[in-house]
Amino acid sequence: MRTIKFIIATTVLVLSFTVKAQSNQSILLLNGYLHVGNGEVIESALIGIREGKIAQVSNSLATTYKREEWDTIIDLMGKHIYPSFIAPNSTLGLTEIDAVRATRDFDEVGQYNPHIRSQIAFNVESKVISTVRTNGVLMAQATPRGGDISGTSSVMALHGWNWEDATILKDDGIHVNWPSSLEGGGWWAEPAPKKRNEKYESQKKELAQFFAMAKAYAQTGKVEKKDLRLEAMMECFKGTKRVYFHADEIQQLLDVIDLAKAMELSFPVIVGGYDAHLLGKRLSDAKIPVMLMRVHSLPENEDDAIDLPYRLPALLQEMGVLFCLQNQGDMETMNARNLPFQAGTAMAYGLSEEQAVRSISLSACEIMGFDKNYGSIEVGKSATLFVSEGNALDMRTNNIVLGLINGVFIPTGNFQKDLYEKYSQKYLQQKK
Amino acid sequence: MKFLFLVLLISALPVFGQVSPQNGVSDSKAQFYALKNATIVVSPTKTINNGTLLIQDDQIVDAGTFVIIPDGAVMIDCKGTVIMPAFIETNTAVGLPKPTASGFSMRPQLESSKKGAYYWNEAVHPEVNASNLYDIDVKANEALIKMGFGLAITHVQDGLVQGTGSMISLGTNNTHKQLVHPYAAQFYSFEKGISKQTYPSSQMGSIALLRQSFYDMQWYANAKNAEFNISLDEMNKQIQLPFIFKTTDKWEILRAKKIADEFGYQFNFIGSGNEYMAIRELKNWSNFVILPINFPEAYDVKDPYVARQIPLSDLKHWELAASNPHIMKVNNVPFCFTSDGQKTPEGFWKNIRKTIERGLTPEDALAALTLNPAKLLKVDNEFGTLEKGKKASFAIYSTDPFKSDAKLLEMWTLGDQQILQAFSVHDVLGKYNVNIDGLIYPLEISGTPNRLEGKVQTIKTNRDEKTQALKKDTLTPKVAIQLVGDDITLQFNLADDHFKGSVNLHGKVRSKFGIFEGDAMLPNGKWTTWSAIRNSDADKKEDEAKKTVVDTLICSRLWFPNMAYGFDAVPDDETIVYRNATVWTNEDQGNLKDATVIVQNGKITYVGKGNFSIPPGATVIDAKGKHLTSGIIDEHSHIAIAKGVNEGGQAISAEVSIADVVTADDINIYRQLAGGVTAAQLLHGSANPIGGQSALIKLKWGSTPSQMVIPNAPKFIKCALGENVKQANWGDYNTVRFPQTRMGVEQVFYDGFERAKIYEQEMKAFTDGKQTTAPRKDLELEVLLEILKSQRFITCHSYVQSEINMLMHVADSMGFTINTFTHILEGYKLADKMKTHGAGGSTFSDWWAYKFEVNDAIPYNAKMMADQGLVVAINSDDAEMGRRLNQEAAKSVKYGGMSEIEAWKLVTLNPAKLLHLDDRMGSIKEGKDADLVLWTDNPLSSQAKVEMTVIDGVVLFDSKRDYQMRAANQEEKARIISKMLESNDKGEPSKPFAKRKAKHFHCDTLGEEGTEEENHH
Repeated sequence: MRTIKFIIATTVLVLSFTVKAQSNQSILLLNGYLHVGNGEVIESALIGIREGKIAQVSNSLATTYKREEWDTIIDLMGKHIYPSFIAPNSTLGLTEIDAVRATRDFDEVGQYNPHIRSQIAFNVESKVISTVRTNGVLMAQATPRGGDISGTSSVMALHGWNWEDATILKDDGIHVNWPSSLEGGGWWAEPAPKKRNEKYESQKKELAQFFAMAKAYAQTGKVEKKDLRLEAMMECFKGTKRVYFHADEIQQLLDVIDLAKAMELSFPVIVGGYDAHLLGKRLSDAKIPVMLMRVHSLPENEDDAIDLPYRLPALLQEMGVLFCLQNQGDMETMNARNLPFQAGTAMAYGLSEEQAVRSISLSACEIMGFDKNYGSIEVGKSATLFVSEGNALDMRTNNIVLGLINGVFIPTGNFQKDLYEKYSQKYLQQKK
Repeated sequence: MKFLFLVLLISALPVFGQVSPQNGVSDSKAQFYALKNATIVVSPTKTINNGTLLIQDDQIVDAGTFVIIPDGAVMIDCKGTVIMPAFIETNTAVGLPKPTASGFSMRPQLESSKKGAYYWNEAVHPEVNASNLYDIDVKANEALIKMGFGLAITHVQDGLVQGTGSMISLGTNNTHKQLVHPYAAQFYSFEKGISKQTYPSSQMGSIALLRQSFYDMQWYANAKNAEFNISLDEMNKQIQLPFIFKTTDKWEILRAKKIADEFGYQFNFIGSGNEYMAIRELKNWSNFVILPINFPEAYDVKDPYVARQIPLSDLKHWELAASNPHIMKVNNVPFCFTSDGQKTPEGFWKNIRKTIERGLTPEDALAALTLNPAKLLKVDNEFGTLEKGKKASFAIYSTDPFKSDAKLLEMWTLGDQQILQAFSVHDVLGKYNVNIDGLIYPLEISGTPNRLEGKVQTIKTNRDEKTQALKKDTLTPKVAIQLVGDDITLQFNLADDHFKGSVNLHGKVRSKFGIFEGDAMLPNGKWTTWSAIRNSDADKKEDEAKKTVVDTLICSRLWFPNMAYGFDAVPDDETIVYRNATVWTNEDQGNLKDATVIVQNGKITYVGKGNFSIPPGATVIDAKGKHLTSGIIDEHSHIAIAKGVNEGGQAISAEVSIADVVTADDINIYRQLAGGVTAAQLLHGSANPIGGQSALIKLKWGSTPSQMVIPNAPKFIKCALGENVKQANWGDYNTVRFPQTRMGVEQVFYDGFERAKIYEQEMKAFTDGKQTTAPRKDLELEVLLEILKSQRFITCHSYVQSEINMLMHVADSMGFTINTFTHILEGYKLADKMKTHGAGGSTFSDWWAYKFEVNDAIPYNAKMMADQGLVVAINSDDAEMGRRLNQEAAKSVKYGGMSEIEAWKLVTLNPAKLLHLDDRMGSIKEGKDADLVLWTDNPLSSQAKVEMTVIDGVVLFDSKRDYQMRAANQEEKARIISKMLESNDKGEPSKPFAKRKAKHFHCDTLGEEGTEEENHH
């Protein structure tokens, strides 16, 4: 049965029924300002979606279409269309309330935990998630924390019935916390000054040896005794599994480059990269991309340029390094909804608008290895995108009116909006 | 160099007052000693050449060129030596046991663990007196003596009110005699030391406790019916003694001085070595500062990855630290030196000489070690100089130690001689003929009496290989010379026509005849006799003594603050004309396009689009396309605070004040200026229901802390509710302090305010004459009374509506209003009740999910509260967010659809209103303070950047100047690092770099240091 609807998408109410809509319906998005994600824009776009995939992208002013061929047609005149933004390296879905231990599911016991997998702990019903996706962040890389090797992350959609159907990319990579070349002392209330980590060389060696062991294991092919840890590492050497090295200091970064080369890792990635701008061509030569530290951060050192964290994206762009933004840090789950505005700040400090968009969409997918299907609004890719009233990188105009994950409409409401409505009613009733 | 430490047991002549029985016959001692032919440095301003020092017992009878020496005096020939007054160490615990802490417990200790009728707080122990604990520690004495100290004030270095120190002489026996003044000075500090009592847990808590102790002491002196209290009793007895206050940072001196002024006391201070950074405030003051000379060692900077991490502030301090005393001197700050931190006499003297290289005269340095400490301790009638009638405490040096390397030969402590090194009175410099077995070798002895150098002339006959002619070559091998008493040893290696090998001579010096004579051991092992006859004086060499190169120019390298982005000189206010700007007035006229704003004398003098004339000397800024706003005001900030944002030791700590601990060298001040912030309320944390008083500051980078505090600002105090005050997230051990539930929180408030009311009645009864004894002044209750009388406003940390309601009920029943609820994340649920009560709200734009009580926090909160007519602000509570509050304000446009003009007021006019500063800040209006920010774009846009921030007409941030400063930082860093490298290359001591992680305070940060860990706001 075919129902043809022509919708002027002006309010969120549109979506209250679309949630119920079938996933395989065909959708036509018309006349919106399209940020493709790859750096290009189409000022008035026509986007055709069939069976969850982008079937057509063109200039709407120069394209004709037949109404009857589409289940749903939405006119987006004056609105902005973006590919889904992505929050890499995030504990979204793995925790709910920072201070409540019972809700913290991201840090397992043990130092070498490549076999620990975030995918199965991902809570699709997280209330935090509902507030993040309503700002345009529809996917996240659920990432374990702690230890020398924290575990294996997976890329998850921020909407679904369970972790299985929310999985976008299973077990995309392992996360290594590179030992710090500086060490701190004391305890949290009285931290002693940090000093040079005297054990750095030996810690580095220990880590390298673990990789050597994993490499040897991967090369033997069939093994009689299965080793869970080493098994989890196999794909890092000849497969597509990423190795995410969490590292900021120049000493660490240079050592990561060396280890990645020595171990012939398929896809090494640096996460953090505060000093990456000092490496010049060495990073791009080594073809190691960077998931940059939170843009909204204070400079690490008193003497640093006061806007250095804001400018890091532009500096890496100039150096020709593939990078994306991520948001690890204090209160990172709830703060994931501000990722678009961090890109906005990166734009104020040197990126072009489309480079800024790319830094939280296509570039992230490229780095994590699922850009073939996601990250930009191009024919053949998944229809995972959203529409904002205005510029989504600006606080004032980021207002999501519709969102799609794999061609399925997602709710644009959340419990915070519900509370807003509820208490607005309280005051309205008082006036009567 | 190691030298023997001999002690002559000729002391202990029975003196009056000695009560101990003596075993055996009394010790023997001469009646008079006459030290002759010495250079006597009587005082920093008086030196006697070739003089005589006559002493009897422990007294100086006379010092001069012509001294009548009585019969029976023992003569000591001190020819060539220099006699100086013994130095006085003021900061030591020599001879005292180390205070030890009680056992470790995970649970907080709320009360004093000291048994007995002492003060309630364990860190206040005026009853501790050094003389009760003192015992001679010969080894520790020796360390001080070797540096030239003969006297010291020793005290137990622990606690806030540490007790009294004793003046001791550094003699080796008879403790009774050595305790010169058992009660010499009273000592204080801001460190609570070994006390494990929870209060105080911050520096502002220490300050409040010190003040309360002084008030308690004064009250106790007059209270007729007060219960006996050992501590207060003792404190009253010692209050006339000199005060010595130990500090660990320049600003602490100013904090302590404020306390002194409140009570009319004269404090002296033990400094920390960076006092020069506060010289603008210390200038011309009359109290002594005891300066350490343990100047920082260079860092090991050979690894550039390490070198780049060292903050410029550390580098600059390394360079300037040795100029600290000189800067004190030229600014008329009297000072002493302490050897605290010096391990060897070599290091001590090296650093003393550094101060001279930086402009101090040797006389200044001597005064800092002798006369000044004597004056500080009010014992300059006995010690500090070698005038007639003073005590015989002095040192004998081989030469003037302030001018060149000298050996300490003897230390006399109260007339008792301690020989450190036997010295020779012979002047052996000159030319000699040495006769060994009939062979004559010309010898020249040069150098200084301390470091004798010698050369002998020998002749070797060689045959020229080509011509076969004989040729005589003259060789001059070096001679190692040692002179001890009358004995001289000479050693040299010969390879001449007669000997091949080492020649070793030992002989006696017969100065009178100009000869040496003795035995020689020749290279072949044979012994023979030798002698030497003096021919003439040594050639006068060019003055080889290293000329001290004095560098005072280096002082001009002082920046304000002395770190990255510091100013050479703090800029003055300017007359500024902004033209063609989009002006966000925050007034009825709204935003004005292409308007003009004029700033004169720190105030806004014109706003509008009409006619104006450009005042003379004005800086005219064409702001076309740019936006001009009033400065951002952060209602809730914790930057620029030193040593603790929470006094969490008690449920009520109204007596503490953040204004006491504002610091001026937090880089976040500059960073936030670059984010458009011009003023902030620095709040106490949220660890307890009634926290501490706020500081309202302007972010005047380059100023001193007191200049940053806004004058005549309304008074504020922080209160808090919920999880933090009930210690819900503090782990399983913090379950002792009341309250642990929201139910208890209510009772804390009622209890506090009821006690305050009773206090007021008692005070009134006293002033009305109905009660004869004054009630004990209670700093905490006086602040609570201010709240009750609406003289002090409350900013209350709050989250859920039940507790917010509760506090409004408490306030209503007591007749006052809660001025501001801060955080107030459920404010949207009861904005109507807040409106009725009269409270405003200062909230986060979108924070939530960090703890259980913020589960219902929604980003629409600001807009919803504003819709109910509340004054609403958005604040940071976070050093990072504080520098982009414009973006946070913009979120209210997104969440709830607030208009841009109203959204902008959330971070400017509205916080000004909440802080009752809107008569002078918060909008662009004629007559208001010129706190202005020029933006590149609409300030609510994510693309907006600050181009210029002005406070009171002073340009404190300028994006162009910022780039120059970055370059200047790099240059300065490179300059000092290359200096450090030189020092590294010379092999001077260096230390590995230790990185200090910046600490950031949040509401729930405990202890004196911030945390890098997750926080719970």
